[in-house]
Amino acid sequence: MKKAILYINQFFAGIGGEEKADHAPEIREGLVGPSLALDAALKNAEVTHTVICGDNFMGSNQDEAVERILAFLEDKEFDIFFAGPSFQAGRYGNACGVICKAVKEKFGVPVISSMHVENPGVNMFKKEVVIFPGGRSAAAMRKDTKKMAAYGDKVLAGEKIGTAEEEGFYVRGIRHQVIDFTMEPAAVRGVKMLLKKLAGEEYVTELPIPKSDRVEIAAPVKDLATAKIAIVTTGGIVPVANPDRIQSASATRWGMYDVSEMARLEGGVYKTIHAGYDPAAADADPNICVPLDALRAYETEGKIGSLDTHFYTTVGTGTTEAEASRMAEEMVPFLKEHGVDGVIMTST
Amino acid sequence: MKLELGNFYVKDVKFGDTTAYVNGILTINKEEALAYVMEDEHITEADIVIARPGENKRIVPVKEAIEPRCRVNGNPVFPGVTGGIAPAGSGRTHALKNTSVLAVGKHWGSFGDGMIDMSGEGADLTHFSKLINICLVANTDEEFERHEQQKKNKALRWGAMRLSEYVGNAVKEMEPEEIEEFELGPIIKRDQKIKDLPAVVYVMQPQSQMEESGYNDLVYGWDANRMLPTFMNPNEILDGALISGSFMPCSSKWSTYDMQNCPTIKELYKAHGETINFLGVIMSNLNVAMKQKERAAVFVAQMAKSLGADGAILAEEGYGNPDADFIACFDALEDVGVKTVGITNECTGRDGQSQPLVVLSEKANAIVSCGNVSQLIKLPPMEEVIGELAALGRDGLSGGWEGDEKLGPSVREDGSVILENNSMFCGDQVLGWSQKTMREF
Repeated sequence: MKKAILYINQFFAGIGGEEKADHAPEIREGLVGPSLALDAALKNAEVTHTVICGDNFMGSNQDEAVERILAFLEDKEFDIFFAGPSFQAGRYGNACGVICKAVKEKFGVPVISSMHVENPGVNMFKKEVVIFPGGRSAAAMRKDTKKMAAYGDKVLAGEKIGTAEEEGFYVRGIRHQVIDFTMEPAAVRGVKMLLKKLAGEEYVTELPIPKSDRVEIAAPVKDLATAKIAIVTTGGIVPVANPDRIQSASATRWGMYDVSEMARLEGGVYKTIHAGYDPAAADADPNICVPLDALRAYETEGKIGSLDTHFYTTVGTGTTEAEASRMAEEMVPFLKEHGVDGVIMTST
Repeated sequence: MKLELGNFYVKDVKFGDTTAYVNGILTINKEEALAYVMEDEHITEADIVIARPGENKRIVPVKEAIEPRCRVNGNPVFPGVTGGIAPAGSGRTHALKNTSVLAVGKHWGSFGDGMIDMSGEGADLTHFSKLINICLVANTDEEFERHEQQKKNKALRWGAMRLSEYVGNAVKEMEPEEIEEFELGPIIKRDQKIKDLPAVVYVMQPQSQMEESGYNDLVYGWDANRMLPTFMNPNEILDGALISGSFMPCSSKWSTYDMQNCPTIKELYKAHGETINFLGVIMSNLNVAMKQKERAAVFVAQMAKSLGADGAILAEEGYGNPDADFIACFDALEDVGVKTVGITNECTGRDGQSQPLVVLSEKANAIVSCGNVSQLIKLPPMEEVIGELAALGRDGLSGGWEGDEKLGPSVREDGSVILENNSMFCGDQVLGWSQKTMREF
């Protein structure tokens, strides 16, 4: 019998709700909470252990949480790893995605999860993790678990895996060619598709183009001379110690730093941790990426009303659109609280 | 313009004393045929080998495929290429169906050359496994490009075209077994009931991205790189006005055979008068500089609009850089209100995770996809190789390699091969044969 391990959060482990969300990672032998349903549904494996972690612990101490959980798994024998289902719970979905991705990278075993389509974890992790569409709430536990188990059984049995559509998981952006001699040739498919398009009928394109998430250009700032301006950068300028441990690529963290007492950013005090460009020039003079010196001059000249107390920073290279918009959404409340009227975005 | 294609359905091809077609059997006098081919002094040695569907044969490096035909009035089959300029697309042309003449390097391959397996799994990856292939296996004196990855392959390509005319002439005086008629009336003089149907153009983007002459597809012998989009009657395409070049990775390539038999044109003809009013072909091209791409798109969209097109089918011969031409043209057509369906292949990488086209546009919302150029393919050895198997790994074919740290060489000691789909001969069949598509896994 093959072996499976399931990751769940503190709530489904019966430890507690929001008040227990800081619960540190632990591993328990045997079945806890949803493990029972998974173990019952799995034909080709038994669930030997359950990993439990508080959603907040994973959210705020991700590196530490992942490190501890990977250490728990180090001496365990397992052939497949599951997480969730996490339904519509955003932080739980994120945690499932983070740990599945890490386990897949470290141990090379298949990883499977389940989330509701609106769970942000779907878009963040569907490329790396096989995620099945799930219900909104725990009412769908049994149904969602069965889907994960059925697919897991298939993988463990070494059966041929079909397309994402056939198997039912979210598309991962993995496209391969298929030969099908029962299918009409391209010429016929093309003319049929055109007839439908001309008639305004539904048709299915064979190459869906991902929607680009365009942001409308904002209305101009009415009176620059009274406006408060902030600088936001994806150029990775941080205090040399990088206190928020922003990653050099594929960033998930950002920082805001008080520069209200400074006329310019000094090299040696600030630097870039961005791995996507030659850092020499920005390390020597960080103002070329975060133009504090120039904006102070504008402030003195009265061209702008004032400069925000802080600048906001992260790294853009390899960072996913989903992560970038999440970080922006986290920055916005601060900008609003500071009464910022306009933002200058600098990249690299 | 009315074209009659007189078809002769060949059941087998043999060698014999006289080149003739009798009761479905095409006999070729090899000596005479080779003497005709070798009138070109650049061909230094040549042989003709037959490969039939189901045989345990692998053909590589294949440079071109042509359907053997003759023009009954004696004009060249490929005007401006194998003879003087004369209009194509009207009158009577005879064709030996189920066969193709292949240009095969006796030794040397090049970037745009491909491979054909006549049986087994590899046979599913090219249309040419279904045909009786008359392989012209030859060597040339083109020393200037002997060790170049990009070769014009002129002597071999022209040799195969001339051989196809030689063979095609066997049925010049005969009564065809079937006559296919292709006739499109003048656009503004069509019956009201046809005019009431949605008007459709077929926009073709043949490969023309080499600045130097000799590599690109030719229109009446003219380098498609040196033209602006123009309006053509589809009959001209079916009748030899467009010939293939020697540049693009092979699965993306449209051979001359594909053009002579273009399934999308035939399908549009079938729909003409029933569900659409088929206006004709806008012959565009593929370009190098962004301005050239944009200019061609402007011409295509203007022409489509001025002709009154409601819809278009757009096809590109290539992937990667040409995707920019394809999407520019797609956008331009949609911008002037011509509802468009694109036909193309994709390059999603060996792991399937790369962006399918180099340029994407939300306006390109209707695409027929014909395969992944970078799909890895492993095929067992074949009993007989026509050409030289080593060329696949040695000569820079787009889907082969000399050595790879993980995968080893393309050509194994036992004669088995590993290659990218890129080198399957005209494998993605964007002109319309393709029974491949792309799916999410």
